[in-house]
Amino acid sequence: MSEWAWVTIGFVITFGALAGYTLRLRLRAEAIRRERVRR
Amino acid sequence: MNLLGRRLPAAALVLLAGGLVGAVLAPPDRFQGDYQRLMYVHVPTAWVAYLCFGLTGVASALWLWRRTGRFDRLAAASAELGVLFTGLTIVLGSWWGKPVWGVWWTWDPRLVTTALMFFVYLGYLALRRATLDPLARARRSAVLGVVAVVQVPVVHMSVVWWRALHQPPTVLKPGDPTIDHRMLAVLLLNVVAFTVFALMLLRARLRLTVLEDELATARAAEDTEVAGGVVTAPQLEGRMRDV
Amino acid sequence: MTVLSPAPLRQARAIAGTELRIEARAGEALWIITPFGAVALLLTPMAVGADRPLLSQLGTGMYWVVVLLFGVLVALRQTATDSPGHLAVLRMTGMPAAARLGGRAAATTVVLLAFETLLLPVMIALYQPDLAGWPWLAAALPLTAAGLAALGTLAGALVHGMAGRGTLGPLLVCPLALPLLLGATELVKEGGYGQVPWLWLLLLVTVTGIGWLALLLGANALEESS
Repeated sequence: MSEWAWVTIGFVITFGALAGYTLRLRLRAEAIRRERVRR
Repeated sequence: MNLLGRRLPAAALVLLAGGLVGAVLAPPDRFQGDYQRLMYVHVPTAWVAYLCFGLTGVASALWLWRRTGRFDRLAAASAELGVLFTGLTIVLGSWWGKPVWGVWWTWDPRLVTTALMFFVYLGYLALRRATLDPLARARRSAVLGVVAVVQVPVVHMSVVWWRALHQPPTVLKPGDPTIDHRMLAVLLLNVVAFTVFALMLLRARLRLTVLEDELATARAAEDTEVAGGVVTAPQLEGRMRDV
Repeated sequence: MTVLSPAPLRQARAIAGTELRIEARAGEALWIITPFGAVALLLTPMAVGADRPLLSQLGTGMYWVVVLLFGVLVALRQTATDSPGHLAVLRMTGMPAAARLGGRAAATTVVLLAFETLLLPVMIALYQPDLAGWPWLAAALPLTAAGLAALGTLAGALVHGMAGRGTLGPLLVCPLALPLLLGATELVKEGGYGQVPWLWLLLLVTVTGIGWLALLLGANALEESS
């Protein structure tokens, strides 16, 4: 694997993890809002 | 309530984009070549992780002093982010270490301390998850939060002394200490970018906690009966007169 | 009419005495966990091969790892003084939580010291390590026992009443107790080279001191209707 490919994967891991966590927060907030509306 | 907000995410994304561009344009390292660019993500995540755990310690101490719910929520949110960034730091460190050092792991004090920190705060989160009563949860995690923030530096020092005995002074370090000033600038930019992004996540996590608490309160209120609801009007010949 | 309340130290001693008497009488924790630790010491040579030189190098390290991991279980043992009724009575006497937990940790220190002492000959027999520096065990054993007792008792208070206390407790203690492990192994090793291992002594004393301080200060913070 080339150096740049290795580095790119590292960056993808980083931003993927951060984006994934952000998305998880938003999904949980949506679920709570739906639940509140339901009540 | 908007979970992420508007200006903070925009600022964070702009900074992260700038940091990414800088990481791509920065000069390669003399010895590590382009692999060294992983420093621009690894160091910021490590910095943010330590920041988060420090914040957990401070918030825990403040809770013990003031007993306001806000500090408990801050400690918890900060710990969760800290675990995320610590895990990321370890993974990125490994990813960087393999091509540069040839190994996925070494017994460098910083790595060992980071790994231990990860487990300490994983335990913190596990303690919070396992304690159902909110007040007991706040109390116990506050004590653990303070103990942890005091003990982790001691743990680090002990590992530093331990390694000083068992390894020659040429300890492998992730990056030349006399760093090129262009690299330093890109590094600082990324540190700032990751910090702002982490602040955004922290605020979002706090807002989520408030939402969760409101939902829990709503659920609890639903389950409780209205006072006096057991009493019904007397019935005449089977017909209810109280509606 | 004024009622003289006994000094917290006397109360702590009373608690420690009770716990030790319970341990001596029923002795489940010590007599189950010590054999468990001995089994762990027995398992390693089977896993890595009974190569004598390798084992004699591993011996002291394995000993302290087993002391840490299984000593935590000793520290987290449930005693009769943990039952809600007993706790309620103790609270009604107005005993400060620091006295109660301090007495508990003191008893645990003694039990852990016994635990360490019982496992030592087992390790020596199985691994036949180089015993240079063994006089320094006189410092290492009590200091690690005291440090582990304090951290373990504190963790026990944190997980008190929970379903998963048996597993969460050790997870909370072990990372933070690492300096005890390092201090003990290095203390004896450096002592074996003929120097006085000041640094490691200082580390052990510091960690144990912090542990006890945290226990006594945290005790009252944790005390409530939990």
